[in-house]
Amino acid sequence: MADLTGDIARLGMSRRRILQAALLAGPGAMALAACARADSSTPTGTAASGAATLQIASPTNPVKWPINPGNEAIASGLSPEKDAVLRLYNYADYLDPGIIKSFEEKYADTGVKVELSTFNDTLEAMAKIRGGSVPFDIYFPSYDQIGKLVLANLVRPLQHSYIPNIANVYPEFLNPFYDLEWQYTTPYTLYTTGIGWRTDRVSEDIAARPNPYDVFWDPQYQEHLAVLDDYREVIGMTLLRNGGTDVNTGDDALLAAVRDALLQMNEKTQPRVTITGYTDLPEGRLDLSQAWSGDLIMAVSYLPEGTDPAILRYWFPKDGAGVVNNDVMVSLKGGQNPVLSQLFMNHVMDAKQAMNNFAYTGYQPPQVSITPEQLISDGFIPPNLQEAIVLPGYFDSGYRLLELPPDTEAKYLAIWQQFKAGA
Amino acid sequence: MAKRSQRFLWPALAIPSFAWLALFLAIPFYVVLCIAFGQVDPIFRTSIPAWNPLDWRFDQFAITLDRIFGANNFYLAPITRTITYVVTAVIISLIIAFPVAYFTARYAGKRKGLVLVLLVAPFWISYMMRMLAWVNLLQTDGIVNSVISLGGLLPVEVNWLSGKPYTVVMGLIYGYVPYMILPLFAALDRISPSLLEAARDLGASGFDVFRRVVIPMSIPGIAAGMLLVALPMMGDYFTSDLLSGSPDTSMIGNLINGTIQTPGQSGQAAALLLLVLLVLAAPMFLYTRTVARSETRS
Repeated sequence: MADLTGDIARLGMSRRRILQAALLAGPGAMALAACARADSSTPTGTAASGAATLQIASPTNPVKWPINPGNEAIASGLSPEKDAVLRLYNYADYLDPGIIKSFEEKYADTGVKVELSTFNDTLEAMAKIRGGSVPFDIYFPSYDQIGKLVLANLVRPLQHSYIPNIANVYPEFLNPFYDLEWQYTTPYTLYTTGIGWRTDRVSEDIAARPNPYDVFWDPQYQEHLAVLDDYREVIGMTLLRNGGTDVNTGDDALLAAVRDALLQMNEKTQPRVTITGYTDLPEGRLDLSQAWSGDLIMAVSYLPEGTDPAILRYWFPKDGAGVVNNDVMVSLKGGQNPVLSQLFMNHVMDAKQAMNNFAYTGYQPPQVSITPEQLISDGFIPPNLQEAIVLPGYFDSGYRLLELPPDTEAKYLAIWQQFKAGA
Repeated sequence: MAKRSQRFLWPALAIPSFAWLALFLAIPFYVVLCIAFGQVDPIFRTSIPAWNPLDWRFDQFAITLDRIFGANNFYLAPITRTITYVVTAVIISLIIAFPVAYFTARYAGKRKGLVLVLLVAPFWISYMMRMLAWVNLLQTDGIVNSVISLGGLLPVEVNWLSGKPYTVVMGLIYGYVPYMILPLFAALDRISPSLLEAARDLGASGFDVFRRVVIPMSIPGIAAGMLLVALPMMGDYFTSDLLSGSPDTSMIGNLINGTIQTPGQSGQAAALLLLVLLVLAAPMFLYTRTVARSETRS
């Protein structure tokens, strides 16, 4: 899940969003939002952002982040903090409560309590972390925020000796382009962005189209489809649909074409803009949706009783040339429990815990022990959703949504604003 | 001595409400101003409010005005859409509310209280919950469709929740109609029955009484009701979000909400909010003035 703009669209019927509903029900939500933004402007990182420039990591320009003076990794072999409250900061329903329980049991002698706070989108989360009012220990962003986190000195470098379970994940994550030598990050989940649909409502095989992304402009699906409420994903998808291969482009001509295409999409199909596809699709409110791979795996559990899971399908380019990303875990500098934080990351990467988390969230962990064949043969994923499995090779062939330079980001957000205004 | 303490007592009783207003209206409003006239952090794209009015800049305001009146005026679409929706919804609300209020005031007799309570009862549930209930009712395989199609006999399948303007307008009407009923009831209830009897005695037909006595006397109630429903409808965004979710029905509220949450655009959101406030303050001001005038007259 990259940056997610908007949040009310997520107020579907799902349990994972009910808390947000409570949050937004207050009449002062707007004023509060304004205050929250105001808070974030007395940030710890103002000095840094004033002078320094943002470094952009990409597969062709991998970055080894600096270790800011005074922010060295903790020593190895320290004992965990006593009677600590370990504060996690994550999307709602994006972590199996069983992991928290088993962690508390494993370290019961330290008296640790784990507290999970949730955010609606990483933009909001970033503002709160910079505000520094809550000492969160672990944050679960996409890697497109690492540059800003390091620049504002908000993350703590890892002491690798606490995290032996890194051996369980794909070796790429020992040296990812966004954080060479995994100084700050451990991988959390993998996902592709594709198209999900119901075969009982959509008769054609979308995967067989020459350009499957065209379905979002096809009037026959008018009013029965959705795109993700995520500016990077929708603009990225439109760039690919227009024949591009750079989903992070700052090129004005390409972006103008994207804007025109999106306004055209509004006209032709009136899509919903939501990230609740994982319930809307199985519950029949949508026939077709832009989706993250994890959404379709999760959708199986939201199907009404008696509905055959075989009606769900997911498409991602066969050659792996689609949008593929991963979320990470970072230890925040504002947190009070560096040792427990790193032990918790280690715990999440334990093979068994990771599988439990996969079952709960639908999002695949980068565990080497997972093979697609086994996921299908174990009945973990129905064969019709085979394409929702993230293959390691995708990370070579796929496109990544990278951190954008601020001026490019502003262009993307302006397009998104216009699209959402229904102009 | 007693007189003196009384002189301080009454103003002192007003302190809590002034404190409340200062804390939750004046200060937040100042924050909005500071954001609207502030700057944007170049890297994090969070807004940097300008707390000192001398530092205020009009860049964000200029962008907002340009998007309304300039070449790429895409703010105009949600603005005109909102006005269309609200005007339609207010008129239909009035058509629904007037007979209800009239009946309650004139014919409910002893059960007036009960009728009013029953009318207002659904609104004890939060607006959000009621809209979520509509989401269930209006699904393609929901109750509304199965009633319209007589349980599946007729081939009717309306996809209510897929960006239909009429669904959003319906949601707005349902959500706010009691705020129309209550002031209308108050106005109609105040009309003394003897006035109506006098009109009949002087030869007016039933319709004449309604047209020439009831309607003119209920105008303050109609105005109050229209204002009371129009103002929150103008700022509403979750009705459209829940019952449509499509950019095709985005209203001003959705535009402001989306803009606030977008990094680097909170200044524009604040500017937009101020503009909406200015525009809405005008009818409010007119209304309070006419009410004040009519009260001094009577």
